[in-house]
Amino acid sequence: MRRHVSLILTATMLVGALSACQGGGGGSSSAAFDPATCQGGTLSVLNQGGITHLDPARLYTSGGGNIPSLLFRTLTTRNRLPGEAGTKPAPDLATDLGTPSDGARTWTYRLRDDIFFSDGTPIRAADVKYGIERSFAPELPGGAPYLRDWLAGATGYQGPYKQPEGLKAIETPDDRTIVFRLRKPEGDFPYLATATQFAPVPRDKDKGVGYEKHPISSGPYMVASYEQKKTLSLVRNPHWKRSSDTLRYACPDKIEVTAGLDAAVINQRLSTGAGQDANAVTTDAVVGPEQLAQLGTGSELDKRVARGEFPSTTYLAFDTTQKPFDDERVRQALSYAINRTSVVNALGGSAVAGPSTTFLPPQKALGYQPYDYFPAGDTGNPAKARELLAAAGHGGLAIELAHENDDAQGLGPKVAAAVQEAFKQAGVTVTLNAVDSATYRDVTGKPSTQPALSLQSWGADWPSGGPFLIPIFDGRQIITAGGNFNLAQYDDAGVNAEIDAINALTDPAAAAPRWGALDAKLGKLALVLPLTHPKDVYLYGKNVKNAVPDGWRGTYDLARISVK
Amino acid sequence: MIVPRRLFGDRAFLTGAVVAAVMVLVALTAPLLTALAGQDPTTFHSELLDSARGGVPVGRFGGISGEHWLGVEPGTGRDLFARVVYGARVSLGVAVSALLLQLLVGVGVGVAAGLGGRWADAALSRLADLVLAFPSLVLAIALLAIVPQSWPRPALLAVVIAVLGWGGTARITRGETLSLKTRDYVAAARVSGAGPLRVARREILPGLAAPVLAYAALVLPANMIAEAGLSFLGVGVRPPTPSWGQMLSSATTWFRADPAYVWIPGGLLFLTLLAFVLVADGVRRVLDPRQSELLR
Repeated sequence: MRRHVSLILTATMLVGALSACQGGGGGSSSAAFDPATCQGGTLSVLNQGGITHLDPARLYTSGGGNIPSLLFRTLTTRNRLPGEAGTKPAPDLATDLGTPSDGARTWTYRLRDDIFFSDGTPIRAADVKYGIERSFAPELPGGAPYLRDWLAGATGYQGPYKQPEGLKAIETPDDRTIVFRLRKPEGDFPYLATATQFAPVPRDKDKGVGYEKHPISSGPYMVASYEQKKTLSLVRNPHWKRSSDTLRYACPDKIEVTAGLDAAVINQRLSTGAGQDANAVTTDAVVGPEQLAQLGTGSELDKRVARGEFPSTTYLAFDTTQKPFDDERVRQALSYAINRTSVVNALGGSAVAGPSTTFLPPQKALGYQPYDYFPAGDTGNPAKARELLAAAGHGGLAIELAHENDDAQGLGPKVAAAVQEAFKQAGVTVTLNAVDSATYRDVTGKPSTQPALSLQSWGADWPSGGPFLIPIFDGRQIITAGGNFNLAQYDDAGVNAEIDAINALTDPAAAAPRWGALDAKLGKLALVLPLTHPKDVYLYGKNVKNAVPDGWRGTYDLARISVK
Repeated sequence: MIVPRRLFGDRAFLTGAVVAAVMVLVALTAPLLTALAGQDPTTFHSELLDSARGGVPVGRFGGISGEHWLGVEPGTGRDLFARVVYGARVSLGVAVSALLLQLLVGVGVGVAAGLGGRWADAALSRLADLVLAFPSLVLAIALLAIVPQSWPRPALLAVVIAVLGWGGTARITRGETLSLKTRDYVAAARVSGAGPLRVARREILPGLAAPVLAYAALVLPANMIAEAGLSFLGVGVRPPTPSWGQMLSSATTWFRADPAYVWIPGGLLFLTLLAFVLVADGVRRVLDPRQSELLR
């Protein structure tokens, strides 16, 4: 959780390229889809983001990713269903979601009997343990940081290359059983077990940094050829059994991923659908204005669009230890002044973004509770903002807003200009401070260099309130060395205690409303100014069937798409 | 006054001059014009956009209406007329300032090289060659990307364009100076005891006016292109200051959804450049008859 959203977004986008979604919805024109007869053909994936890594230890994914999930089975995985139902994990290599004991401090999993690597050897519990251990190696950075924080006595572990004795917190009493011992209760463990770090890696085939050139596959596909950041070609894994994996339909015989394309080009190719492009999809190029202008007009394109929502919030982060944002009235006034309609338009319009007055995005699984303590309406309430500022003695306020220097992540000059204009209506002068997007998170994530006001976004590592709220509001997560996300520098003992209490719950249905209540409580303090949540709108080729966005990732699942 | 009479008989020059004059006038009176239209270049008009279709303007031709004479910008709803008019300010302002700086440096270096000794000439000429040979676009992008954002952007643009673009002026000035130097009246001035500074000021500079002016008329539109190019690449003026290059850059994603947004800044940039080039051609034909005869 201490890691960046940018990584998570990268994960959803780059790796989104790598990750997948499911099939079916979105207005597919095909007849009833039958996973039993969907096999055949070659699926093309056209993406912007490079496939930067293929090592399960190095991938930062939500729910195992889209493309990675074709190669790597994990202890659990997302259940690949559309809508609300899709926000839950499902067993993958394991036979169930795990058995908690000792107040959710111990999690025990039993592996299936019919699971094999692409070289034919059976997958054992020790392979899963080894896969996790190598994700601790400093040679293989990039994965989510949760395991180091959660596993008992794992803080200083340097990976199996330096410490071959392994992690004591993971036990494998036999080939089919794996036990995790945590240092604190973590009810969300089955969600974390969807990450690619939980994919099995055979110790005798591990080549360290070079492993990603030919990773040993456990999923329905294996790597035929791979050129980093350019192309990835997948063929069927002969040792994967359909009967052992009911979630991945694995319809196409081959999957060809091309990365490094321009978003406008991708969408143009998908909408034209000439030749092999009729069998194409994308996992990271949301539609642009050209396609949106055709959508909803009854055109043929309307039948080839999948609409989902990845839980994420774009917001303004105040540093409440810096002037003038230490004054709650200033934060409230700006919350009244914001014009969310112009922010939505800056992001591409109401088809791809919606206004947010809550920090939690509107997904029930995260515990979303609607609130709007500082009603700004659609276009802002500058009169109320002026009144508050005048009362607080901040007439003629001048502030600086930090943002990324490009619009690729939705944190760029376009959104910043919309914010600037909205605050101007309330008499607040905003100077824009464009920061190179490559270093943006480094600058904002270090309290010593953090701007007092910055444009941010936060995405869900999994659909639960915990990974959404903890990094942002847990006072013990203020990291002075860098990689900090508690930009408000907010530390409240009561809130910290409530976080611990909710973490101990193993029933998501019980935890969700309490995360929602916590968000609503924090919302009153105006520690952040929520702007929008994204909507994912992806096109797909004419021959593509079962392109249904799943409720976890908001995009269609490559493991369930058919081009036959 | 033979020069104006010849110019006014030149129809291409006249057309160009009228258009260019209108553009300059527009740039100078931008606040007045936008006030007349009842608009300003930064106010968002969300109500004029079709948000569900990505934020394209409501209505035909980019939302052209009695209030918004050239329509509104997709995605923001800012008034395009106001942005175009203020954009003309940036475009012409930067181009003219850069030109003045270029002339100052270029003519100074050129005259010094022409009148100076062998070593001064060699050093200054090689310096001018260096500037001419430099991949100026790359250097400009690098320079503009690293300077702090608090620096005034249009002035910075003008300086960068000038610093990278004085080489041509220096070359031409040096050549003209060398040929003027051998004229009898210059020799006479020298013999009568005039120092190099006086010779430069009283004898050389007046003779340089015609060729330098003819060249400057060509450099001005080149400067406008440089400004538009840098803004197009995202290292020009900072938003929300409007600029034609920036508009063209953001218009590329709207080419099909809102073609008016591409044509308006693109067409204006084209028209203005064409006008200035016609003017430059006319001026050169008159001031540099040798050249024009060669061309014909």
